[in-house]
Order: sequence, then structure tokens, then C-alpha cells
Amino acid sequence: MLTISNLKKQYSNKNILNGVELKIEKGEILGFVGANGAGKTTTLNSITGILNPDEGTIMINGLTASDDLEYKKQFFFIPDTVNVFKNVSGYDWISFMLKLYDQEQTEKLSYFVEQFSMEKAIHKPMGTYSYGMLHKMALIAAFTIEPPIIIMDEPLNGLDPRAVMTFKDCVKNYVKEGGTVFFSTHLLDIAEKICSTVAILKDGKIILHEDIQKVMGEENTLESIFMERQRE
Amino acid sequence: MNSLGVLMKKEYSQVLRDFKVIWLPLVFVFLGATQPIMTYYLPVILEVLGGTQGISIDPTMIEQTGGQVLAATLGSQFDQLGIMIIVIAMMGLIQSDKSSGMLAFILTRPVTVSSYIGGKLVFNYLLVSVSVGIGYFISLLYIHFLFTSVELSQLIGALLCYLVWVLFSVSFITMLSAVLNSQALIAIVGIITLLICRMLVGLHPMLDAVNPAGMSQHAMNLLISGSIGANLSINLLVTIIWVLLTVIITHYWILQKKFHES
Repeated sequence: MLTISNLKKQYSNKNILNGVELKIEKGEILGFVGANGAGKTTTLNSITGILNPDEGTIMINGLTASDDLEYKKQFFFIPDTVNVFKNVSGYDWISFMLKLYDQEQTEKLSYFVEQFSMEKAIHKPMGTYSYGMLHKMALIAAFTIEPPIIIMDEPLNGLDPRAVMTFKDCVKNYVKEGGTVFFSTHLLDIAEKICSTVAILKDGKIILHEDIQKVMGEENTLESIFMERQRE
Repeated sequence: MNSLGVLMKKEYSQVLRDFKVIWLPLVFVFLGATQPIMTYYLPVILEVLGGTQGISIDPTMIEQTGGQVLAATLGSQFDQLGIMIIVIAMMGLIQSDKSSGMLAFILTRPVTVSSYIGGKLVFNYLLVSVSVGIGYFISLLYIHFLFTSVELSQLIGALLCYLVWVLFSVSFITMLSAVLNSQALIAIVGIITLLICRMLVGLHPMLDAVNPAGMSQHAMNLLISGSIGANLSINLLVTIIWVLLTVIITHYWILQKKFHES
């Protein structure tokens, strides 16, 4: 599904990514964790084409960034900060997103709007939305569009507990229907409940990519595993 | 609907919300009406304001032909204040998307850089052209009543020539908006460059052929003398090459992700 080989990126002579290797299979829910500055956002920005990597290859379903439109149709990216036109309503923004992915509005949209409790807010200008509401709108767009893979940078930030539950359900249903999820997070307790696999990034390299149950065993938590790996 | 169509529709809703679709034509209506009214009523205005002692007014001023006054509308109003207004209206086209992160957000969707630039350029050029066109015809309306009428073929031909110069202005500002990060800098560089282009017209025939502002001069010549300048086709071709060059630079700049790392 998604293969990253020898991904390298440098900023101001500082190596941010030092040869990231990662292979994500279809149906995987991968939690991408790492300390601040480990290179998580740089990795996600390289996959989505916001950054040009210095070295390495990224393939999604056999396509690379040079395939442009076909490549971009393989994923829906939710950045840490969801950029919107402030005076546009949530409904118009989602309609715009759907059109970019050649999709029409369906019942799915109403379903996800209801699931994330955005019925009242969806017709209001997005400039009035809170950080969490902007993330909810992006999640509604992602689950409605249903691309082969949803890539998210800290999607749980700003979400209320109910929205986190909804997120969990939506991710599980989406994966059941053939989707793949790849998201970065610092919320390890939630990640261990949602994810099927975990990848830890340290100093610009993947130091662990494993089935989450296998890695935790019966006694450990994701947090303890993460802390142990950080100390090594 | 393809992504170009979707992006043009987005541009339309954006200018509608910014009221640009209202104020830009209104500014050109004002500019268009100013030249014939001022030309015709200046002696009267000066008389009302306290006489014309010490001021000599050319008695043939109000005897100008309609074509001459319309040419003055292009040369004095549109090419000075008009150009400044176009620069101010267009300076944030790509720069505001860059600074808000919207450019990166849009380009991670199934949108090509060409569609993104195309949507911006085509829609905003149409908006400016319609605004200039409305101002031009308002000017013509006053000229028709206050001066002499202008031959249809001349006024259409002149407008088409002028709109080529406007196309260059819009594509040039779009390029600056992609390359530079400060709106103030875009405005200063844009206004100075375009005004210099306009001032250089008429200095040397060779220079005129490669100067995009030469198209504005051709429009004025057509209205004043009724004939087309000798180097119109070369000037048209060179201006189109300039436009393509600005689009290529904009495309290259965005494609190299210079918007992100700058």
C-alpha cells in the first residue's frame, strides 16, 4: 500500500530524516509516534508532496509523486493545522473538497456530520470554528471521500472525548471496508486502543514498526515501550 | 467538473465574499467617467472656482474627437491609477494562500499546479477585463454625449489591444505574488515595474516592440489616428511570450515548493 525507502531530508545542514524505511499494508491502522522534532511531520509532509525529499522514494499503490493527480487521489491528508477559507461555511468547504476528489455529496456526508455532532455548525462560517471543530470537519471530509489511505498529523488534538470515540469507530469501520490509516500522535493511551500497528521514529529513523499487541505483550503499555525505546 | 473548473468556482466565491467583484468594476467606472467629464467641464469648473486668471486653457480642449478622449482615458486614467488598483487588487492572489498555508493544503489534494495557477489567472483576468471593459464603455457613453462618437471597429480593436497589456499586468502580479512573501513588496515592485514599462513607451521603436506596455500605446494610436502601428504583430507576440514566461516562473516556483521553504 505505502512504501517509504531511504527517505532523507535536511534543513539548514541538520539531518531531520536519516533514511526512513516504512511499509504499511492495506488495512493497517498505523500509529506514528516520536518525540518532538523526531521528524514525524517532515515524513508526512514528504509523503503528501508538501516537501521534496532530498533522497529516497515514496510509493502509494505503486504510484509516486511524479504521477501527480493519480498519486494525490490515493490519500486524504489532514494536517496539524486545518487551513480553511474563514468566511466559507463548513458545508461549502466539504463540497469543495468532494469536487476536488470527483465526488458528489451522498448520504455518507450527512451520516458523518451527525456522527461528529456538526449538524448545527456546518452551515456557519469556518472562521467561527474552534480548533477541534476544524479537525472534525477534516475528518468528516476524509471519511466521506474514503480514499485508499487517510494520512493524519495529530488528528486527535482538540477533539472532545465523544469525538475521539466517534473517530475510533469511524476508523475501524473505514478499515473494515478496505481502507488504511496512518496517523501521528502523542496520545499514546488512545493510540494503543485504536491502532493495529505502531511505528516509532527516533532521530529521523524508524526504530520500531510492529504489531501493537505483539509489542506490548500482556504487561506493557505503549507509553512504557515508547519511553524504553527513547532511553536506548 | 475538472479541478480547474472547481478552483475557478472557488475563486468566484472568494472575490464575491471580498466584494472585489463589486468595487473593482466601480473603480473603473469612476476612472472611465472622469476623463471625458473633466475634459469637457474643466473650463466651467475653473470658472466656478474663481475664474481663470493666470491659467491658460487650450481652447481646442473641448473640441477633441471622441477617439482622442477615449485614448486619454486609457493613457491617463487606466494606465496610471488603473494599474495601481489592479496591482493592489491582485497582490494577494497567491501570497495570501502561501502565508495561510492554504496553498500547501490545496496542493495535497488532487489538483495540479497548472490548474491552481490557471484557476487564479483565468478568473482574475476575466474579472479585471470585465472591470476595464465596463469602465471603457462608461467612458464611451460620456464621450458619445459630450464629444464625437467613435467608430465601432476602432473602439473594439483598441480594447482588445489594451486587454493584452492588462493580461501581462495580471500575470506579472500573479508571478510576484508567488515569488515574494510580503504584500507591500509585491505592490511596490509591481507598480514601479508596470509604470516604468508604461513610461518607456515611445522612446525607441525597438524597445516598443519588446515592451508589453506597447500594446496600450497601440490601443491609443488606433483610437487617435484610426490606423494600426507597424510593429503591432511583433509587440503582440512578444507580450504573449512575456505572459508565458511569467506563468512558467510561477509554475516552477510553486512546483519546487519554494513557497514552503522560503
